[in-house]
Amino acid sequence: MRIRGRSFLGLIALVAKRDYVRTVRRRGFLVGTLMLPLGIGVFMLLSTILPGAASPGMGTGFPVGSPDATGQVVLLANESELELEQPASPLRFELLTREDGLQRLRAGTAEEFYVIPQGYPDDPTVLRIGEPSSGFDVAALQRQAAQQQGLTLLLQATLLDDAAVPPELAERIVAPYTLQTETMAGQPGPAGPSIASFLVPFAFTMLFVISIFITSGYLLQSVTEEKENRVVEILLSSVPALPLMAGKILGLGAAGLTQVIFWVISALAALSLLGNGGGLDGVSIAPITIVLGLVYFALGYLGYGAIFSAVGALAPGSREAQQYAGFFGFFAVVPVIFSSLFVSDIGSPIVTILALFPFTTPAAMLLILTLAPEIPWALVLASVVSLGAFTALATVASARVFRATLLLYGVRPSAGAIAGAIFARS
Amino acid sequence: MTDQRAATGGSRADGDVSAARVEGVWKSFGRTDVVQDLSFEVRRGEVLGFLGPNGAGKTTTMRMILDIIRPDRGAITVFGGPPGIEHQTRVGYLPEERGLYRDVPILETLTYFGALRGLSTREARDRATHLLTEVGLGEAMKKKAAELSRGMHQKAQVVATVLHEPDLLIVDEPFQGLDPVNGEMLRSVLLAQRDRGAAVVMSTHDMTDAQKLCDRILLIDRGRRLLYGRVPEIQRAFSDGAVEVRGAGISAADGRYRSVSEAAEVDGSVRFLLRAGASAQQLFRELADEGADVERFEVSTPTLNEIFIRTVAGDRRAEAVR
Repeated sequence: MRIRGRSFLGLIALVAKRDYVRTVRRRGFLVGTLMLPLGIGVFMLLSTILPGAASPGMGTGFPVGSPDATGQVVLLANESELELEQPASPLRFELLTREDGLQRLRAGTAEEFYVIPQGYPDDPTVLRIGEPSSGFDVAALQRQAAQQQGLTLLLQATLLDDAAVPPELAERIVAPYTLQTETMAGQPGPAGPSIASFLVPFAFTMLFVISIFITSGYLLQSVTEEKENRVVEILLSSVPALPLMAGKILGLGAAGLTQVIFWVISALAALSLLGNGGGLDGVSIAPITIVLGLVYFALGYLGYGAIFSAVGALAPGSREAQQYAGFFGFFAVVPVIFSSLFVSDIGSPIVTILALFPFTTPAAMLLILTLAPEIPWALVLASVVSLGAFTALATVASARVFRATLLLYGVRPSAGAIAGAIFARS
Repeated sequence: MTDQRAATGGSRADGDVSAARVEGVWKSFGRTDVVQDLSFEVRRGEVLGFLGPNGAGKTTTMRMILDIIRPDRGAITVFGGPPGIEHQTRVGYLPEERGLYRDVPILETLTYFGALRGLSTREARDRATHLLTEVGLGEAMKKKAAELSRGMHQKAQVVATVLHEPDLLIVDEPFQGLDPVNGEMLRSVLLAQRDRGAAVVMSTHDMTDAQKLCDRILLIDRGRRLLYGRVPEIQRAFSDGAVEVRGAGISAADGRYRSVSEAAEVDGSVRFLLRAGASAQQLFRELADEGADVERFEVSTPTLNEIFIRTVAGDRRAEAVR
């Protein structure tokens, strides 16, 4: 029989691999990984379908007066003297009389129709006739907003034509300009702020926070389970506490990341299936921002992982472990709570404090990196040093607490005992 | 300061023979001194019985040898070096509180434990398969621990301890909770390990097990060493000079035999207490001279259980074998 020499890193890899494989093979992990995107997909599908299902026009083909998949039809009774001009719009207008419109409503083949009054344009009151929807019907609101935008274009085009404005000028009046941006160096600039450019930093930060919580869940589950199963003493007699803890953090962290990455890929795939890249077209993140983001992600991950390992070792049971972990996990969310401040005043002292306080550094810096017009290198340097030192200290201290308290079955160690374990001579 | 003689239980310390050595070790938890100036040595090819009442400091001492916790003072060496990552592959441990991963097949758990102890995954799996089959768990090795009986658990845990053929085996209250069949299996496993040259440290408070298995014993109470040495030597030290004789023509009358100070009839035998300086052989000769027909002549030696109780109660004879 050959006994191999074991290195510190070899042991970390062994524990990490084993914990990773064991976790990702668990039924709970597989169900959780697959069910979340599936559940959100089903929810989105239902939220799209259900408002339509509740409408009386369902089952009679595409209800007239509703935006639909083939080109949206707007029912319009024109009682004015104007001859309507079809504008360049995805909407199609079907002209009818007020009586026909009411008949269609009664028959349930339309949701609403519009009436342009006899005195138009002197009387600008356009009438929308239809039954009010019950409850908060998002689909109806979206449909009506699209109809009214189309109606505006129709009336603008008609009035301009009536005033004998040349078509090119009429087009310019309706759409007076297209915006293009340029940097001082003459390079094409960003198209301007979009919803996505605000959402991406938050998504990035939330991804970090979610990963922290997911991984902490796996770490706590693993440590408390080994404690409750009484396997831990065999492990600690086989492997020093530090590589055991580090292996767990890396292995279970990788399992948590696997889950998050799967969810992100699923979300991106779903967005691209919905069309136009889910509104992420034109959003670009500089490579250096990604590199720095990964640094904060990794350091924050290791720091929190070390703390959660110690929490798992300290807690007498899994329920207490979850409660203690929630206290530390709250810090990860604090920058998200202050996110409006990051958007409105990124130079605020509170933002700087959050960037330098190690518990909030990762989330705060991820927000700063994606929101700031330029990378604040001094803050980056200071926060990396502070977070790096904190992570190193947290790892060593947690390994000591891990070793000293993991074998206290069903006992909650005193604060003095914890401090004693941290500051004991090695 | 503890001298080397004390540390080695009266024998010469030999670096090649010693598997682990504990010298002047102290350990406190809060204000309680759990281990106080403890010294002893574990040698290869022996079973050292680590005896003591509950809370005596046995488990704490074992955990210090295993480097799970560190002593406050004193020194511990394992195979000549500090305990830790260097020597963990040569150590096997069966803790008092033991378990297996409930939702994992036992073969997988044992393979992992073997890999942690330095075996390649393949070798750990092969060894675990072989040993599990040997102890009658061949059919169950792919079952999860939660599906196994308590007895099967116990067998699997013993296999996990010796999977990598450790040179130092530390077993904490190994017979606690074992059924008789598994108890016998464990006994034979421990003796087999000793016979192949491994050092075995066995903590127990069951003196019958200790008497059957141990070559030497170390008795501690409140973290202090009370007895340390070979079992016959300790029994001799605690022998009260009593001899029990059964047969015909044996008298319990006072002054009948010169070598006897007291005599009493007990359950059909006569129990003689020898005078200071007198020997059992001298009494035997006197009985023969008197024409007694001796059926049974037994020098009474106290059991480890009696020694344990007397020592913990403060019997001064313990000082001779401390």
